Amino acid sequence: MGKLKNKLVAVPYYIWAVVFIVVPLLMIAYSAFTNEDGAFTFQNILQIGIYGNVLLRSLLYALIATVCCLLLGYLLAYCMAQQSERGKNILMILLMLPMWINFVLRTQAMQDILDLIQSWMEAAGISLRISNTGFAIVLGLIYNYLPFMVLPIFTSLEKLDKRVIEAAEDLGANRMQVFRKVILPLTMPGIGSGVIMVFVPTISTFVISEKLGGAKYNLIGNVIQEQFLTVYNPNVGAAISLVMLLIMLFILIIFSFLDDETKEGLL
Amino acid sequence: MKKWFQRSYMGLVFLFLYLPIAYLVLFSFNSGKSKVIFSGFTLKNYADLFTDQQIMQALLNTLIIAGISSIVSTIIGTMAAMGIQRLRKWQRNAVMNVTYIPVLNPDIITGISMMLFFSALGISLGFGTVLLAHITFNIPYVILAVMPKLRQVDYSAYEAAEDLGASPALAFRKALLPQIMPGVISGFLMALTLSVDDFVVTFFLRGVEVETLATVIYTTTKTRISLSMNALCGVMVVVVLIILILANLPQKQQKPKKEERI
Amino acid sequence: MENIIELKDIHVSFEGEVILDHFNLNIKDKEFVTFLGPSGCGKTTTLRTIAGFIQPSQGKVLFEGKDITALPPHKRQVNTVFQRYALFPHYNVYDNIAFGLRISKTDEKEIAERVSEMLKLVNLKGFEKRNVTSLSGGQQQRVAIARALINNPKVLLLDEPLGALDLKLRKGMQTELKRIQRQMGITFIYVTHDQEEALTMSDTVVVMKDGLIQQIGTPEDIYNEPRNPFVADFIGESNIIEGLMLRDLLVKFEGVEFPCVDKGFGENKPVDVVVRPEDIEITEPKEGMLCGTVESVTFKGVHYEMMVRSENYLWKIHSITYKEIGTRVAMEIIPEYIHIMAKEV
Repeated sequence: MGKLKNKLVAVPYYIWAVVFIVVPLLMIAYSAFTNEDGAFTFQNILQIGIYGNVLLRSLLYALIATVCCLLLGYLLAYCMAQQSERGKNILMILLMLPMWINFVLRTQAMQDILDLIQSWMEAAGISLRISNTGFAIVLGLIYNYLPFMVLPIFTSLEKLDKRVIEAAEDLGANRMQVFRKVILPLTMPGIGSGVIMVFVPTISTFVISEKLGGAKYNLIGNVIQEQFLTVYNPNVGAAISLVMLLIMLFILIIFSFLDDETKEGLL
Repeated sequence: MKKWFQRSYMGLVFLFLYLPIAYLVLFSFNSGKSKVIFSGFTLKNYADLFTDQQIMQALLNTLIIAGISSIVSTIIGTMAAMGIQRLRKWQRNAVMNVTYIPVLNPDIITGISMMLFFSALGISLGFGTVLLAHITFNIPYVILAVMPKLRQVDYSAYEAAEDLGASPALAFRKALLPQIMPGVISGFLMALTLSVDDFVVTFFLRGVEVETLATVIYTTTKTRISLSMNALCGVMVVVVLIILILANLPQKQQKPKKEERI
Repeated sequence: MENIIELKDIHVSFEGEVILDHFNLNIKDKEFVTFLGPSGCGKTTTLRTIAGFIQPSQGKVLFEGKDITALPPHKRQVNTVFQRYALFPHYNVYDNIAFGLRISKTDEKEIAERVSEMLKLVNLKGFEKRNVTSLSGGQQQRVAIARALINNPKVLLLDEPLGALDLKLRKGMQTELKRIQRQMGITFIYVTHDQEEALTMSDTVVVMKDGLIQQIGTPEDIYNEPRNPFVADFIGESNIIEGLMLRDLLVKFEGVEFPCVDKGFGENKPVDVVVRPEDIEITEPKEGMLCGTVESVTFKGVHYEMMVRSENYLWKIHSITYKEIGTRVAMEIIPEYIHIMAKEV
């Protein structure tokens, strides 16, 4: 009796999940294959070709940003993990503080400082463009999402049993070998969730590219946004979203190889 | 790695993370209109911020939406976690895979999927749709926060309570809830944060009239040069700093002494 | 036999607390040496100093006569079996054991041979592909030993290796460790707080307290001839009572004179007398004997444990004869079983 009741408490969520998670996702697929009148068509899918460049650019920017975040973030997490307990606490607060400031504001901050640097460069007679470029977008992506890479890696470094590292040293491994053969493989779950947490928002952003790219470097996010809110062609927008969903599906498959604990660590 | 290298590397990265924010906040005290030339110190921008009708209304909306959505999602999510915990493994996996969708999906997909859904049903976008969307993306985080706690729960206490004549509801309140409370609270706080911070989902579901802080920031920074956003950033830094320090103080004292030596 | 490891005037302190206080020790080749002491006595620190994980602020570590104090752990010819094993969770049994050889770039064919040799040594044949986290404590222990031995170290350091195992398994592993040590013919340095373990396995026991060596000797020496009350109390159970050394071969305690075998303490010198509970025989009380009243009796399987109150001391006695509580008994101790220790100054 008690057990039965316990199972039933989840029913409101099941209904909620079906209505507000599953059905809306199916709506994307439905819209992608229909026209305004609800008739079946491949027209929307065929239009994706026009946005090939945009897709490639999004993928490229997201990959560059993710790789940069991984390299910078791993090193940062590693340095943080070497500090005293007190130092770690302070660094954690420092790392989390920007995450809690609205990301549109953070992006604006990036834009402002790039504008400032640009004005200095112009004054100094350097003709290189920084603000409103693809470089600015990638920089903004790294700036916004670096902490999301550092946190899970730092957590997995903290979980690492120090004795395992000693065991490797004891068996003759030098620093480089210890890192390659023990630390790196054991922090793989952290790297995995860090990569997902950075790659997903970077490939789908439209705010950062719009603000920092000066509306010149459209990404998939911008195209979807336009199709839904300005051009108002939700069917084409849905078709493009479907492509993004496929990329996500691919990531989800990688994700499913991670264990439960790591997934919960994504928080 | 050398100490000086670690120090200087961390210094550089944190400089990168903080310089833009510091710059933004610095110019919140600018008496001029420019974002590049600092003409003099003033608090006028802060005064403007707090008297701006639109921003204050947006703040109110943000708090209402965050409050309601995090409370509702905490209730539904906690109940869901308890039910899911009792499922068979394959059922649980299936449910959890659906639960991970809003967590892993880009916000933009969550936003447009619900937008399509509501317009297909002929529901006009506005306050209600934003609220429903926030509850939807919050629930999974609550579930993910409560689940690990449920796994550690000692069910014998619950059974003992039932054995002693407590109704299931009372047994839950007295024997089970206290054990999972830390998870429930962290799930609630997570939901609250996500909701306050959300821009993308709100942006697609707000219709024409509903503004939250995030959408106001977006439109304001897009259309006009105004230092009130710099002031808003200053306020946010202070609020977040206070919250973080308060949240970290007790933890530091509870931390056990370093590893034992033998 | 020559010394394989020499610790010279080693000083280690941690956060202002002295852990090893000008510590000197020589360890002979092919010996089974045990560091024994309560937690915090510095035994693990000594081991970690030998392994190279701790840099002493003062003093030298010599290995085969050569100074290795500044050498990092990965360049030392010693290997460690860690407390709670510290196996690599991302490798299976085979890869864990092969780790050391892979680091030294040995070719895979030789590695395969050596690993199977090691698995045979620790009785884990057929476990090659098993995930280490799925093994029982005892099996993990064996993997840890094989992993540490594959590099052919001249010295194996073992840091409370059996601490996490249950009693029965521990007994079995003790015998096996002893066998492995003989088979490999290398030096084992073993850290434990379990005195029985130390006595069973070691050639030499080093009893430590507060970063200082209390006594070094064979298990028999340590047990039978404890040098001070701490050793006497820590190793086995004992009655320690104050006495007066009247002259050579005669000691007086509790008002009774006992002939003994110790000499050289001088005349009328206060001493500590140690008598093991199993060395006291209970007889019928007679005039001039050490007498007392039975206060409690507990059945312990092989013997009864009795607490007997004499004038100023409560004696612990292991006896196979049963006496009821309240019975007046005499305690006889033959000279060989009376051990005299000089008073600590």
